[in-house]
Amino acid sequence: MTRNRPRIGLYTLAIIASVISFLPIIWLILTSIKTTAGIYAWPPQYLPAPVTFQNYIDIFTKSPELLLYVLNSLIVGLGTTIVSLSLGGMAGYALSRLGMRRAGVLMVFILAVSMFPPVSLLPSLFQTFLNLGLLNTYTGLIIAHTGLFLPFSVWMLASYFATLPKEIEEAARMDGMGFFRIFWSIVIPLSWPGFVATGLIVFIHSWNEFPLALVLMTQNAMRTAPVGISLYPGEYAFPWETISTATVIAIVPILVITAIFQKQIVGGLTAGTGK
Amino acid sequence: MTEVKLERIGKSYGAVEAVQEFDLTIEDGEFLVLLGPSGCGKSTTLRMIAGLESITTGDLTISGTRMNDVDPKDRGVAMVFQNYALYPHKTVFDNMAMALKLQKVPVEEIRDRVGRTAEMLGLTEYLERKPAALSGGQRQRVAIGRAIVRTPKVFLFDEPLSNLDAKLRVKMRMELQELHDSLGVTSIYVTHDQIEAMTLADRIVIMNGGVVAQVGSPREVYDSPADEFVAGFIGSPSMNFIDLRRGAGGGWSSTEGGLRFESLPFSLGDRSEIRLGIRPEHVVITPHAETGANGGSFEAEVRLAELLGADALLNLDIEGCRLTARVGGTGHSRAGDRVQATLPTPLLHAFDIPTGKALPRLVS
Ligand SMILES: Nc1ncnc2c1ncn2[C@@H]1O[C@H](COP(=O)(O)OP(=O)(O)O)[C@@H](O)[C@H]1O
Ligand SMILES: [Mg+2]
Repeated sequence: MTRNRPRIGLYTLAIIASVISFLPIIWLILTSIKTTAGIYAWPPQYLPAPVTFQNYIDIFTKSPELLLYVLNSLIVGLGTTIVSLSLGGMAGYALSRLGMRRAGVLMVFILAVSMFPPVSLLPSLFQTFLNLGLLNTYTGLIIAHTGLFLPFSVWMLASYFATLPKEIEEAARMDGMGFFRIFWSIVIPLSWPGFVATGLIVFIHSWNEFPLALVLMTQNAMRTAPVGISLYPGEYAFPWETISTATVIAIVPILVITAIFQKQIVGGLTAGTGK
Repeated sequence: MTEVKLERIGKSYGAVEAVQEFDLTIEDGEFLVLLGPSGCGKSTTLRMIAGLESITTGDLTISGTRMNDVDPKDRGVAMVFQNYALYPHKTVFDNMAMALKLQKVPVEEIRDRVGRTAEMLGLTEYLERKPAALSGGQRQRVAIGRAIVRTPKVFLFDEPLSNLDAKLRVKMRMELQELHDSLGVTSIYVTHDQIEAMTLADRIVIMNGGVVAQVGSPREVYDSPADEFVAGFIGSPSMNFIDLRRGAGGGWSSTEGGLRFESLPFSLGDRSEIRLGIRPEHVVITPHAETGANGGSFEAEVRLAELLGADALLNLDIEGCRLTARVGGTGHSRAGDRVQATLPTPLLHAFDIPTGKALPRLVS
């Protein structure tokens, strides 16, 4: 009995936290199935009446570029994730395991770099990308996003590697594996919950990133979902029905991926508590 | 002939000197045990031999070849770790076959060698399992098999039985002994468990604070400990230590009173203070006080009697001087009994007080 009491408290907190974080999404979904009149109704309409899917039909017929935005986001998100995991994995491994001198100092330095507000880098980044012809290219935004999220990846993966029993890698060394082979055939297979968790967080952040995507992708056809959706033109008012519908469509991939890897994310974030 | 030679080997981590001046030659086929309390540098020494830790000073040679800068895989050594260190995502077969695969041994031969080793260790039916589906004892057997398959010149063990429960530990200890008897491969075995050390070792190296305190056969380290640390570390319960002071008449008496000796059979020089040692199992208890305090016999009161099973421990008070005696577990004295405790002169040890070094026995 007494042991259950704190549990009830925890569950209540968890439920409150979930409801609070889900409210905007629920509101968004509800808005997307309201009529325009319903959206602007006063007093506000909480539940849509009538329910309509016209907004979804409209968006695919009137603004087909939404699919393009989503595709751009997918390409940039996946590219950023792959590059961040590759570089972050190798750097994290070197920093946590190969007995580098001053590894701790380097780790703090890496973290310090990520404290620069990205917006302050924008003018020089824009000029550089312009000179290099990287504006409006996937490569360009992938590089920019990797720069943004690599420190996080290095830290996450380095701390994950640090939880692996060192002796396994030592046994591999005695068996005759080199460092790269140990990393590839021992460390990566044993660390995939860490890679999944890190990769997913990087993907989501890249997907949602706004300032760099706005400035470095100036052509409409290259815009990512958040930028494209926010720039939907409205004549006299914000086209709330279009924006909310498009946003719902844009978060679907993330929700699906998160649902699939939910277990690994939790496992990766709480690394070290298990074997 | 596999001779492992450590010449004044030392290891420091910055200011921490983990191992100093380790100097020893391990003979072909010998089973050498490194014994000592946690943190004394046993693992560090073993890992320097394995090549997992660089050697700060000194030379390591195996079969006459200097190994300081040789890659672990090329040293002809195989290691068994305390936590098994198996590859969790690979089957037992793949765990055991890994080194051979990397050496590009033909597949047929790998299958044959792994098969034979698995059979020897009773692992044949588990070859396709992953380590997670094995018990602790089976996992450690796989780890041992992984070492055997490579037919190394030297086996290195770092507390291989510490993660097993007491019963299994005894069983695996015997298996290791049989294995060594049949394979005859030079083995270096790290443990903090003196029973493992006493039962397995041809020779024991006792370490203390990164320094070798004594090297000798189990018999030697038990019978003639080189210093107070070894004397106290080997044997359970620990040796009794009693400080003695030389009296005006030349005899010795304990500083806390009770013990008096006319003379002691050690070369004591002109010391006025020494530390006397006697193992609990060497204190002889007889029921009645007959002779009083002379010739190493003293009247004692039993303060506490603890039954261990086969044996019992008596905590004795000899006029303020406390010591422990180990006696048979049946019909032993009770708390409050007055008994006679005899400390047989040939079984006494004497140590120098500031240095702790054992004082040599006088030959009579
Ligand atoms: N990587 C390391 N860095 C710093 N000190 C270490 C390191 N490894 C071991 N030591 C120190 O070296 C000493 C010996 O350690 P170790 O050989 O593991 O002891 P044992 O195996 O006898 O318990 C200890 O004091 C330990 O703290
Ligand atoms: Mg150790």
